[in-house]
Amino acid sequence: MIEDKSKYEVIIVGSGLAGLVAANILADYNLKILLVDENIHLGGQLLRKIPEELGEYSELHLDKVKRVGFEFVNQVKQKKLTLLNKTILMGIYNDREILLEWNRQKAFSLKYDLLLLATGARERFIPFKGWTLPGVYSTGLVQVLMKSSGVLPARRMLIGGTGLFLLAAGYEYLKNGGRLLGIMEQSPWLNKIKFMPQIFHQFPKFWEGARYLSLIYRSRVPVKYKRKIVEARGEKQVEEVVVARVDGRGRVIKGTERTYSVEALAVGYGFVPNIEAAQLAGCELEYAREKGGWTVKVNDRLETSVPDILAAGEITGIGGGQKSICEGQLAAYTILEKLGKVKEVPFAPRLKKLQRERKHHLSFMKCFNSLYQVEPATLLDLPEETIICRCESVTLKDLKEALKMGCHNPNALKVATRCAMGKCQGRTCTPIIYELLQAMCQREGGEIGLFTVRPPLKPISLQALNKSSS
Amino acid sequence: MDNLRIPAIKRKEKINLYVNGKPITAYAGETVLAALLAAGYKIIKKNPVSQEPRGALCGMGVCFECTVTINGVPNIRACVTEVQEGMRVELDD
Repeated sequence: MIEDKSKYEVIIVGSGLAGLVAANILADYNLKILLVDENIHLGGQLLRKIPEELGEYSELHLDKVKRVGFEFVNQVKQKKLTLLNKTILMGIYNDREILLEWNRQKAFSLKYDLLLLATGARERFIPFKGWTLPGVYSTGLVQVLMKSSGVLPARRMLIGGTGLFLLAAGYEYLKNGGRLLGIMEQSPWLNKIKFMPQIFHQFPKFWEGARYLSLIYRSRVPVKYKRKIVEARGEKQVEEVVVARVDGRGRVIKGTERTYSVEALAVGYGFVPNIEAAQLAGCELEYAREKGGWTVKVNDRLETSVPDILAAGEITGIGGGQKSICEGQLAAYTILEKLGKVKEVPFAPRLKKLQRERKHHLSFMKCFNSLYQVEPATLLDLPEETIICRCESVTLKDLKEALKMGCHNPNALKVATRCAMGKCQGRTCTPIIYELLQAMCQREGGEIGLFTVRPPLKPISLQALNKSSS
Repeated sequence: MDNLRIPAIKRKEKINLYVNGKPITAYAGETVLAALLAAGYKIIKKNPVSQEPRGALCGMGVCFECTVTINGVPNIRACVTEVQEGMRVELDD
């Protein structure tokens, strides 16, 4: 077991693709490395498969990124570094110190020379009436449930929202024997993309999309564009979903509503970078809608504004697996250089090549993400009783009233309404509230400001904290 | 109730757990959330503010909508916890 106050040359937070790739490279240089992750298994959100102890699953399909990724998982497990799963990062402090909670049992603080934050992304949610009913799931939940536990979320399901991920979830659900009632894509753009062959050429993701669509069409599942989930209904859990057509700006066209009878509804609206740890450490952030909102600002060597803290992967901008692999390598080489391990290998050309590759990923990311944007103004059209902060059951009406009283920034709204103060610490509602504030105050994203972040970054067990001090 | 477990997966070891005192069967390697959903427990808890029924949302440890009490320890996220033999899960529904 790890001793309290021990010191590592490199601590990596997050074992998704970026963290994993960096760890894999660094582990060859005789450094004292710790790789920390909150989840049960290594690999983050993208690399998930049926665990060996559960059973055998021969029908697993892996694209190239995932094949490479699982290869890294196997390699890292055999290398000389310390792995710590089920571990929550509570805080980052001055003097290069972090505080961790392991498995709700023990807390300890550790020292580092260099810290690499690869905390990844989470799903973005756009609220609608009834989205708090049991049986309304994220498309991520659907994927994780099938891929990590081999269980379908329901037998009869509708998928809605926006983005390529809807197709991926639909494809997996169909393949595993679920009855998919339809896919409701809010954006009109997806339809047009099919006629842009140059994009197919540039980005393998679109071939991926074509493969998903082919099974979905063959299964006679309707895929509809410019359709928005407007309401989930049911007494104690979701039973019906109301879907309506939207115009070019995402506004609901009255009179076009249609009701589906469902056992579950899966929704996905893209991803948001997990910036909270970097924000707590004092890293400079920047706002860009086409990157997923607030991101960690880095230079072309992936250094943040805080000395000795680097950032890689989705937290520097939502860009997918290939960008994360590229940034994981780049971060590792920057770290090796900073630790004076440069002389052994000619780094400069490799760094240059990765930096060029990264630029390519960044420009594509901007173009790709802008296809699936949801207009913040459409949030104002939601019924007033719609819950925005799930934990504290704060409604749109509560927020609008607080705004009228003069709460024009996130922290003022929080004090007035308790929004973002619940168990999830605002992970679910903060991106929604930032966009609501943009729409209500008619200001740009960056001008709205951020909610203050404080340790512990996630709810932890007091018992564990207590044990650490004894 | 039909089975939600994907039949193409050959499962190995059976695990017995108790949900509000009632026995359910799961398999080693599954998460507590997966075991609950497969056993038909979609409603995980009441929201402490509104008292409305709530269930899992994100499935990856972010939203805290699936927190349960396990072996007497409250506030454990069912989606990032593996099942273990004899586990006692209490839902606050």
